[in-house]
Amino acid sequence: MVVDTQLASFFTAGALIVIGIFAALFLDNLIKKVIGLAFIGDGVNLFIITIGYKPGGIVYIFLPDMTVSWFAQNASYPLPFALVLTSIVIGASTLAVMLGLIIILHKKHGTISASKILGE
Amino acid sequence: MIEYILMITAVFGAVLALIQRDLLKAAILTGIPGASLAFLYQYLLAPDVALTQAIVGSAILPVFFALAVYKTRRAED
Repeated sequence: MVVDTQLASFFTAGALIVIGIFAALFLDNLIKKVIGLAFIGDGVNLFIITIGYKPGGIVYIFLPDMTVSWFAQNASYPLPFALVLTSIVIGASTLAVMLGLIIILHKKHGTISASKILGE
Repeated sequence: MIEYILMITAVFGAVLALIQRDLLKAAILTGIPGASLAFLYQYLLAPDVALTQAIVGSAILPVFFALAVYKTRRAED
């Protein structure tokens, strides 16, 4: 392959962020906008995971027959993974709050089109 | 080789979810990038993140979107 796995994964993260920003800015439906925001969050998580990836490495589990220096050279970097684990759950809960606000807007205005709610 | 297929599936699933006119189809198709990213995290040496993403991205978020569509309008106007 011409492109290695890490570079291709960075391109995938960039493509997800661009698709999400396009949807959040230019689509009219509010639920489509929230789906775009979810894709931005997925792209950022994939970017941070890809930073910690080491090509040809092992999973960061220390087994008793490994030496510490060999483990430090070959294992992937575990700190971004532990923080992305929190970020996924927080992203899901903020997205639930956004969908609840959309339901309240639909009860008040009777539509979920952003241009009709803003009166344009 | 399989990781490139998963990356292409994630991007095309995201585009496919955003071009639907029916919002319930869009909510269900949101699970495709979530499941693809879960397998991709497993390939990128992060199995704990892959477990969380497999549940949250491919089961919980489509159910949230489907509940929001059920409480509002189904057709996009």
